[in-house]
This record gives sequence, structure tokens and C-alpha cells, in this order.
Amino acid sequence: MKSTISIYIISIGLLMLSCDDRNTATLAPEYLYDAGNQKVIKSIINNKKGTIAMLYGNDLALESASDSLPEPNIGAHFTLITWKQKPMPQWYGTKMNGEIYSIEHLKVVQRNETRFAFEYDFQTGKGDQPGEDRPDKEQRIAFITSQHAAVFP
Amino acid sequence: MKKPGLTFYRGAAIMVVVIFLGLQISSPPIENPPVTSEIAVPAEVKQILERACYDCHSNEAKVEWFDKIAPASFLVGHDIEEARSRFNFSEWDKNPAGVQELLLWQMVNAIEQGKMPLKRYQLAHPGGKVSESELAVLKKYVNTLPGRHKVDTALIVAQTSSIEKVSAQKTPVSLNGIPYSEDYKNWKIISVTDKFDGGSMRIVYGNDIMVKAIEKRELPFPDGARIVKVVWGKQAEDKDGNVLPGNFQNAQFMIKDSKKYSTTEGWGFAKFDGLDLKPAGKTILFEQTCANCHRLLAPENDFVFNIPTK
Repeated sequence: MKSTISIYIISIGLLMLSCDDRNTATLAPEYLYDAGNQKVIKSIINNKKGTIAMLYGNDLALESASDSLPEPNIGAHFTLITWKQKPMPQWYGTKMNGEIYSIEHLKVVQRNETRFAFEYDFQTGKGDQPGEDRPDKEQRIAFITSQHAAVFP
Repeated sequence: MKKPGLTFYRGAAIMVVVIFLGLQISSPPIENPPVTSEIAVPAEVKQILERACYDCHSNEAKVEWFDKIAPASFLVGHDIEEARSRFNFSEWDKNPAGVQELLLWQMVNAIEQGKMPLKRYQLAHPGGKVSESELAVLKKYVNTLPGRHKVDTALIVAQTSSIEKVSAQKTPVSLNGIPYSEDYKNWKIISVTDKFDGGSMRIVYGNDIMVKAIEKRELPFPDGARIVKVVWGKQAEDKDGNVLPGNFQNAQFMIKDSKKYSTTEGWGFAKFDGLDLKPAGKTILFEQTCANCHRLLAPENDFVFNIPTK
């Protein structure tokens, strides 16, 4: 009899715990990206691709984007993180970043007589589906280096 | 001879009746003030609002006989008073246009999450439920509101020298004592969003305590956690589908201190508008407006919307 009662109490306790679990959100630290010491340049939404992105850069990159110099600084290092969009769970009417789709690094290495030399690297994240088109490198370099920094107070 | 127990029960019964009658006399009358500016929405939307929301959120409450009996009448009176203070469809123009839109999106969210109409209201008024198809009608409607498609076409304004002078002289402080601080520019990003109502895009920063808590999946968030959300308008979409930030709109702060901010669920709220960072709100009550929505819609997230969750 006593054991039946204890089983009852334990199972009720477990039931309450499991109810509690359902009422607490599951945090997803895997959606975070650590850009190290790089600073925020801006965010970019793309509804055609269903993505949302953050452009970061080192001081030279931020300066290039802020002053909108006609040419990027040698030594500028940009990082563009692109996530798949997902609906915000608590608010119908907001899209937010979900799984990381891609990580792009762009370094302005040096300048030849006629043109800049860039190092460009494209890595895929968990949100990437195999078989999806890879972006054209030259287009991406042009896109990233043409971005102006968002205005901050 | 009478049994003493019976006298006790009779006495108790008389007491109950007296209390019950007394409650009826002191029961608050539920009054309908005049309708001054009723909300104007398409007929199919109006019909849903009238049936499911108007009993509390308007000056046209249709109170049933059982709502007037105490102690229920006290609860009904309280609910109506609270509901009208949040928003009142009969005095709709009291809200600025932007707030009207935000309220409509908030309603859709409260209904979608099953928070509204209140469960106790639905129990007493079975017709008060909003069906899936009706919710779809409301969603379709809010997506037609101007803020949903707002594009920031103005020339992007950066810091002007006069603004720089002002902000160098003094730090803006919110009415609840929270100062604006630039620390967040060295924090990590915890989320990036595209908000439909009002047409804005946001970057959300978290301090070390906040980021570590997310990494350790620690909920509720510890005291000392800080969040700053920076908001911009959206420029027109380019041919490739890219939407870039337009003008800076505001910066919103949330600071966790479970004791200091116990009346707003442990979070201190502040908002600084425009490049001159004017603290938002006319009175300290502004923080309750923030807390009300966070409390209603994001309790399972420790009242924070913009965090990465599964």
C-alpha cells in the first residue's frame, strides 16, 4: 500500500515537472555566432531567399563601410553570417534568425596595379541544404565591399 | 431539545445569506460610457471583435444576468476596467496611429497564443471563442495595415554635429532611472529580426551574463543580464531581394534585476527615440505598458521576445 502511494506521489511529481518543461522555452545557443572582436556593420534581410544576415568587420572594414571610401582599406576583414529566417515563436509578425546558413569571410589583402586582391571564403552552416547554388564569388565580393554601415546613435 | 449542531448550521447559513446579500449591494455597477471614436475595420473583422472582445474592451459591454451576481460581478467589473485601460474599441482614436497598429498585432498574438479571450470569460460565454478561421481573417487583416509595407525612403541621417554636442553633454536617462549607455556596441548579438508591424529591422545585443545564460540554457535569466535592441527602418528591397537598414529609430534596453524591477517581472525597461535618444514615455507608467505585453506573450522566455529558441 505504502509503495503504491509513493509511486503515485512520484508520478504526480514527474507529471508536474514535465508540465513545467513544456512551459519553458528551449534556448538554442547553436544559433549564436561569435564574431570575436569584429564590430557590427549592419543587418541584411533577404525575403527572396528567406534569410537574414549580419555583416561584421574589423576596424579597417568598419572604417571602409562607415566612410564609404571609394576603395576598401587594405587589411579590412569582413564576416557575413547568414541565417535561415524563422517565425518568432512568441510574436506572429516577426521573422528572426534560425539555423546558420552560411559564413563568409572576405579579406582585402593587397592592391595590384590594376585591382585589389581579395581572399574570399564561403562555409556552410547547419541550415544549408546540399545542392543549393553557391553564390558567385565576384558578386559576393562586390556585394560585401559595397555595403554602407548602419547609422548608430 | 434542539441539537446544538443544527443551531450552528442555521447560524452559518444565515451568515452566508447576509454576506451574499451584502455583496450584491456593494457590487460595482457595470456602466457603459458613451462611444467617442469607434474603431473602423472591415465588416468581417468587426464582427469577430464585437463578439469576442467588445464585452470587455469597449463601452458596449453586454453584461449577462449572471455577470451581475456577486462575487462574479466583482471579477467582471475588474476585468472590464482592466481591459478598457489596455485598449478600448469605443475610444480607439485615443491611441496614436502607430500604437493602433501595434495593438491590433498584439491582439492577433494574444488570440493565437490562447491568452485572449480570457479562459474564465470563455467558460461563462461559450460564444466568445475565436476560431482558427476567424484568427486567419484577423491575420490577413493586420497584414494589410500600412506599417506592414512601410519603406523608409527618407535620406539616411547620420550623427549631426549639433546632436553630437548634445549627447556629449549629458547622458539621456529613462524616467525609471535607466541611463542610455554605449556599452552594447562591444556585446555579442543574440538575434536579428524583421518586424512586420511598423516595418523595422532590429539587431539585439546581449551582455556577457546574458550570452553565457543562453549558452548554458539557463532560464530564467540571472540578475545582471542586459539586452539592447537597436531598431532601424527598412529601405526598399533591391532586385536581388535584399532589404537594408534605413534610418535609426530607437534603442530599447532590458535590464534584469529581480528585486529592483519586481513590479515588471524582474526586468527594467527603457527606450530611447531618435538620434537625440529622447527617453520614451510621458510618465513612469510607460514601463507597465512594456511589461504588460511581455508578461502576456513571452512568459515561457522569462518575458523576453528576442532570444534564440527552438
